[in-house]
Amino acid sequence: MTNQVGKTKPKRGVSLYSYAGEYGVTMSLEDMFAEMHDMGARGLEILANSHIEGYPNPSEEWLENWDRLIKKYDIVPVEYGHWVDSRLYQGRHLTPEESYEMLVRDFKLANRLGFTVLRTKLGVIDDELTPVENWREFIKLALPMAEKYNVRMCPEIHAPTLLKSKMVDDYVQLIEETGTKHFGLNIDFGVFTTKTIPASEWGPNEFIMPESDHSPVEDIIPLLPYVYCCHAKFVKMSDDFEEMTIPYETIINTLIEHNWDGYMVSEYEGPKKDVPGYAVEQVRKHHVMMKRILGE
Amino acid sequence: MLERPCIQSRGFKNVESHGKVIGFQVNIRSLYYRGLWLSQLRPATVTVDGETFSGDQITWTINDVTYTQAEMAELGDVHWGLLEPATLTVAKEGGLESGSHEIEVNYTYSCSYFPPVVDTILGGTHKRTLILV
Repeated sequence: MTNQVGKTKPKRGVSLYSYAGEYGVTMSLEDMFAEMHDMGARGLEILANSHIEGYPNPSEEWLENWDRLIKKYDIVPVEYGHWVDSRLYQGRHLTPEESYEMLVRDFKLANRLGFTVLRTKLGVIDDELTPVENWREFIKLALPMAEKYNVRMCPEIHAPTLLKSKMVDDYVQLIEETGTKHFGLNIDFGVFTTKTIPASEWGPNEFIMPESDHSPVEDIIPLLPYVYCCHAKFVKMSDDFEEMTIPYETIINTLIEHNWDGYMVSEYEGPKKDVPGYAVEQVRKHHVMMKRILGE
Repeated sequence: MLERPCIQSRGFKNVESHGKVIGFQVNIRSLYYRGLWLSQLRPATVTVDGETFSGDQITWTINDVTYTQAEMAELGDVHWGLLEPATLTVAKEGGLESGSHEIEVNYTYSCSYFPPVVDTILGGTHKRTLILV
């Protein structure tokens, strides 16, 4: 507990993606909020297409219930996950205008629900996850509306992408060229992976990330001014509250040292998501670890 | 709450029109972690006791609106949510007899943030034995 009281620190949250195997089967939206409240994890990431009933046109009744639950469980709406589904129609890519319309529809909904950061998932064209060729065009088109609705579009930088890469350089170039505060980055901590768990721990129908190169933690430092949210990705928590694959202590201490005070939203992406209660326990262990490192 | 498997037991029944049994229905839920636009879905096939149905033999009903599979390819603004089971209605004169039936449902969907090759991989075949009363 060496971290000083009063210093700016990252904050804790949860991506409801963590509970994907439970949602609709063993847990409701309210159950997931109640879990967060128990853990003092106030920052919320939802996936629009998953967690908004009636998306993209939720009913007034649903919206009122949302407001009620946010208040009841003391939740801070942090990040709104959405997609530009470039291959929405078979055989062609969306035009910049269609992509723009898709973005703006989500800006309005995110704003209504109280979110200010968007995890904007772009369509890709190859195995290196290179974004669609027209991404600059529709992102620039959408910047004035992002400002109007007070949201920041953040592509997620996710393994196998490296922090020192053309993709990240291109995103940073757009930010610097336009001077925008409405486009940034979401860093998924999986980019810092140093170990893997044995393949035998994964079930037969589970997706295992292929081996790839990863970034050293210090590579995040120059990007921090553009990072509005982080995915605190994790794969396995041990019984003594250590994450087995990602150097959390180094990551969080780096964020603290550089006064980054955004939300780290837990994103469980390990085995047994479909085993009732398993992911729930993993997320709880993850928050024990993060609290300890943060000195909370 | 929904049943955990893709193929739901609740909702399995014959369908009548004008006093004649014209087919059967089965409800499915999406096992993908996010909802899907209808145009992301590729046409489903349904196999019951070894007999396979496809194309215009199957319609999808989502939120009380029924779509042909051909129509769905153009519907990029209609969304199939995770908490909403889709009802597949299969045209089969006389329907199914009371008792156990081996049901298989197969469909895939596109996912733009994965490499294009994945568009024919995500999804797949779901099997379950259902009892028609």
